[in-house]
Amino acid sequence: MSAPWLVLDRVSKVYGDGTSAVVAVREVSLELQGGRFVLLMGPSGSGKTTLLMLMGCLLKPTQGRLFLFEREISALDERTLPPLRRRYIGFVFQTFNLFPALTAVENVELALNLKGINGREARRRALTLLARVGLSERLHFLPRDLSGGEKQRVALARALAGDPPIILADEPTGMLDSRTGRQIVELLADLAHTEGRLVFMVTHDPRVRDLADDVLFMEDGSIVARESTGDLREVVSGKEGR
Amino acid sequence: MVSLARKNLFHDRVRFVVALLGIQFAVVLMTLQIGFFLKFMTNASVLIDHIEADIWITAKNLKNFDFGLPFSEQKLYEARRVPGVLWAERFLMGFSYWKMPDGGQETIQVIGFNPETRIGAPWDIVEGNLDDVKYFTQIFIDEADRERLGFPRVGDEVEIIGQRARIAGITRGAKSFVGSPFVFTSFKNALKLSFIPPGQTVYILVKVAPGFSIEEVKEHLARTLTGVDVYTKREFSWKSRRYWLLVTGAGIALLSTALLGLLVGTVIVGQTIYASTMEHLKEFGTLKAIGASNADLYRIIIAQALIMATVGYATGMLLARAFLNVARRAGLEAYLPLEVLAGIFGLTLLMCIGASILSIYKVTKLDPALVFRS
Ligand SMILES: Nc1ncnc2c1ncn2[C@@H]1O[C@H](COP(=O)(O)OP(=O)(O)OP(=O)(O)O)[C@@H](O)[C@H]1O
Ligand SMILES: [Mg+2]
Repeated sequence: MSAPWLVLDRVSKVYGDGTSAVVAVREVSLELQGGRFVLLMGPSGSGKTTLLMLMGCLLKPTQGRLFLFEREISALDERTLPPLRRRYIGFVFQTFNLFPALTAVENVELALNLKGINGREARRRALTLLARVGLSERLHFLPRDLSGGEKQRVALARALAGDPPIILADEPTGMLDSRTGRQIVELLADLAHTEGRLVFMVTHDPRVRDLADDVLFMEDGSIVARESTGDLREVVSGKEGR
Repeated sequence: MVSLARKNLFHDRVRFVVALLGIQFAVVLMTLQIGFFLKFMTNASVLIDHIEADIWITAKNLKNFDFGLPFSEQKLYEARRVPGVLWAERFLMGFSYWKMPDGGQETIQVIGFNPETRIGAPWDIVEGNLDDVKYFTQIFIDEADRERLGFPRVGDEVEIIGQRARIAGITRGAKSFVGSPFVFTSFKNALKLSFIPPGQTVYILVKVAPGFSIEEVKEHLARTLTGVDVYTKREFSWKSRRYWLLVTGAGIALLSTALLGLLVGTVIVGQTIYASTMEHLKEFGTLKAIGASNADLYRIIIAQALIMATVGYATGMLLARAFLNVARRAGLEAYLPLEVLAGIFGLTLLMCIGASILSIYKVTKLDPALVFRS
């Protein structure tokens, strides 16, 4: 078994201090591998988004240690984190967060620009990425003229800019109808299963569990249960499950 | 690079227009104020600017043209021996008194030049023959000063510190900044009509020979001649203007109006940039999440400011030109050399960047969780 890509070692996050302190994440330990599609479920306020931000180097843990490809990131500061985010992490949000003044293809191009890919090459790659997520028309539309599903496809292409190994998605289907939502989840699952990425997705939708390899349940800041629905597939593909 | 700054600006069109109005206001106010003022200030160096000398030699530590002090004429001959000096001429400026028809006195500035070479002579003659000043004692006065001097006419005889003088002609555009009328005559006559002792001059005018640099000849003169100061035409012109600018408080008035424009502009631009940043805060958060560093975010905010400054300046200048055209028709001139226009552009840039600072601060303190909220 190869080394895990993302390791959390008794990671906690406390917001505020004193009497107003909120323990959003409580001593979570996880080891996450590439090629897996992992779901995180749990009631509102249980700490899912906070955990995602910790994994995505957007937030520093109050306690515990985080390793990204064997490199400890919990102690790094705001100057060293952006390059790590650029290289390893792609984010997908519930509210899409596309840039409203940019067209679909420009949204993807901008992310490529940030990763040092410019000019024609950026345009070419943006088009490839959009095709990869199933968007081949309406490429020059502004986000306000795209449907929810189209917007999330653009956001997905943007997350894939620069080819990051890890995709973190926070309720990416929250604003979509269930059919469109399922298409997006299928895309995400595919990114894990055919491209070998680690895809970690927060969701409230239990109907997509069949697509996942692992499902984690969070309550009150802790991982309280986990099940590996993807074991069967792994046995078939010869990989070893957790 | 996809220009998020530019696209965001044009996306929020109304806000962009409001910001532009603010910048234009500041640009127009600054340009008109400074332009009119500088035009006004050129009066302080009107003679220096019109006389074709490259170099002015003056008494030591002179404050400006109007406060000229006499020094030995001997320096003229020393100056003529310095290599690169094509010619050097005496030139006199001395305060004196003009006897008014009602018996009162008017302060005047007597200007004495060499009528043979006409160096330092009035440049715009409305009436009369300049050669007449060679004879005893003919003078030229400016049309703008006739009222001050009791409406004398060409041919009239007048009295200046007890000496008789005859008006030989009228000049135009030779108006003194300090308000005392200029009276032009030959150097020799001027000695009699002023309090400058014989054997002294007030200025020495120097023309540099072709093939020599003005700066080089100026340095040489300064080294050779003792007890005097040597200025290039441009230096002496600015020195005279600057003096009045600082002393009269007119400079303060100019500065405060220009500053007011700058301040109002900064506030309007600051507000629009700030409001825009707040509205786009989630976008900045998203940028950060997809790997942008704080420096990248600052760059976008600054780029916005630069675009606003450039477009605001360009359109503001068009507006200012329209205003200046109207003003010119009403007889109000402005003076706006290139470096002043560049300076106003610099101030506009500073204004827009200054207006972005609060936004930069906001973005630095951005909460990353923002991007996950619906
Ligand atoms: N910036 C913050 N300051 C203080 N408390 C916070 C902050 N962000 C989140 N919290 C608190 O931390 C806890 C976990 O929040 P988090 O957003 O991670 O939950 P979640 O599981 O993502 O919820 P949801 O399903 O509603 O998105 C909540 O009690 C929340 O109120
Ligand atoms: Mg959440």
